[in-house]
Amino acid sequence: MPDISLEKVLFSYPGGVEVYPEPGLTLALESGVTALVGENGAGKTTLTKLLIGLLRPRSGDINVAGLDVSKTTVAAMAKTVGYTFQNPDDQLFERTVKAEVTFGPRVLKRPPADVERGVAAAIKACGLAGKEDVHPHDLGLSERKWVAIASALASEPSVVVLDEPTLGQDYPSRQRLRELVMRLGSEGKIVLVVTHDMDFVGEACPTTVVLSHGAVRYAGPTSNAFGDRALLKEAGIEPPHVTELAQAIGLRQCVNEAEFLATWRR
Amino acid sequence: MSEPAVVFEDVGYAYEEAPHEAVSDINLRIEAGEWVGVTGPTNAGKSTLCLLAMGLAPHFFGGKLRGKVTVLGTESRAIKVIERSTDVGLLFQNPFTQISGARERVHEEVAFGPECHGVAPAEIEARVGEAMDLVGISALAARHPLDLSGGQLQRLALASLLAMRPKVLLLDEPTSQLDPAGTAAIFEVLSGLHQSGITIVMVEHRLETLCELCPRIVAMVTGRILADGAPQEVFNREVVQERVGLPVYTRLARSAALPAPRPVRLSESAKAFRTPIA
Repeated sequence: MPDISLEKVLFSYPGGVEVYPEPGLTLALESGVTALVGENGAGKTTLTKLLIGLLRPRSGDINVAGLDVSKTTVAAMAKTVGYTFQNPDDQLFERTVKAEVTFGPRVLKRPPADVERGVAAAIKACGLAGKEDVHPHDLGLSERKWVAIASALASEPSVVVLDEPTLGQDYPSRQRLRELVMRLGSEGKIVLVVTHDMDFVGEACPTTVVLSHGAVRYAGPTSNAFGDRALLKEAGIEPPHVTELAQAIGLRQCVNEAEFLATWRR
Repeated sequence: MSEPAVVFEDVGYAYEEAPHEAVSDINLRIEAGEWVGVTGPTNAGKSTLCLLAMGLAPHFFGGKLRGKVTVLGTESRAIKVIERSTDVGLLFQNPFTQISGARERVHEEVAFGPECHGVAPAEIEARVGEAMDLVGISALAARHPLDLSGGQLQRLALASLLAMRPKVLLLDEPTSQLDPAGTAAIFEVLSGLHQSGITIVMVEHRLETLCELCPRIVAMVTGRILADGAPQEVFNREVVQERVGLPVYTRLARSAALPAPRPVRLSESAKAFRTPIA
């Protein structure tokens, strides 16, 4: 059984059109890192909110890590899924970085030792060591994003959803993010990354799902995700820069820098 | 030679109650009609540079300004921000900051700037139509600004600036909320504005994009200018590689030990990787 499955899911916002066309969205995801890509309005963020029960489908089944989402409260889902919003300001409200990161495991009533371990590990992994006592709103946008990510990780969830994590991040920060998601993936967690940043997808996400106008147009290895130019255009995707370069010099498809260099040297 | 658009002379600036200056020793001269890309890691002082050029620092933010910031011939201390906004437009990093909050329709929001400056109604109408059309939000004219998505709000913020017909545009990550198609559309608009002679100063993290678009790049680190020049010159400097990072193409050429100067754009990069190493 896959770790996340959606079966014929139909959803519309009040007064809005169907996000996923009939017969609804069907998708299965295994553990590891998966990129969810597609144009603005494709239904990416809606999908992630359905996974945590923040939005409820009109029909269809959603299972996440063994939980039937329709029978689980949002609060109970939070034990399993760590979620970061696209805009960190939508989820930050405590007065210090430490309090913010501690909030999740604290309200989940984790044992104090687990809280301490989870919070310390999250703060370290997110490069926030030394900033524990700073007010989140005294940090820049990029660092506030890291506080939001740390908050999602502190409860040691088995599923991690990151909405546009690379937005506004500089290069060292992107590298840290890459190492983080790859480590989470290798630990057997389910990591879902919603992004427009295809360089990051090629570097950090072995699996890619392309969503366009509410329909899954591709689900499979990232290495084959950028072959169909017409689909990319429809889904508003620009292939990674290395893929463009490999194509320009007649190499076989490459999606990350290591792959490019290995292919080119041969 | 015509008057320069933006001049910073020995500028240092500290925000109110801040223990350190956010930017220091800034010397920068931007000629009219240039398109300059500004980049650097978090806390480099990029947004502060924009706020100083607009005059919001120090007029709105208070704090302590050293040296002189002169835009279109007038020093920032000698002109109010409202007067400055006739010729200079600043696009904030977060488009939500930009919205007046006083208008209930997108087209009214776009008209807000010219109205505040007493532009004649017929002229306002023409400008609003043109600005909305240019950034592709004409279909949203009757919507409430706060009902828009992040990407739509970013386009609205840009339209509001363009309705003022500015000579200088200061853009703080103008496409951060947009998908690749939306980004390409906005950059096309900016290319057109650049060709019509408008000066553009643009903060951007995506180095590949900067190198394709901007003939000149200013790289900043911890409040100071680290390098200033043509993209290839800037990204071939060792100190920039270490502290700012590199465009993908330049990093690949470095990893592959291709000879310097290393390429910064796709076309040059393809040529460099095709040429066999002697």
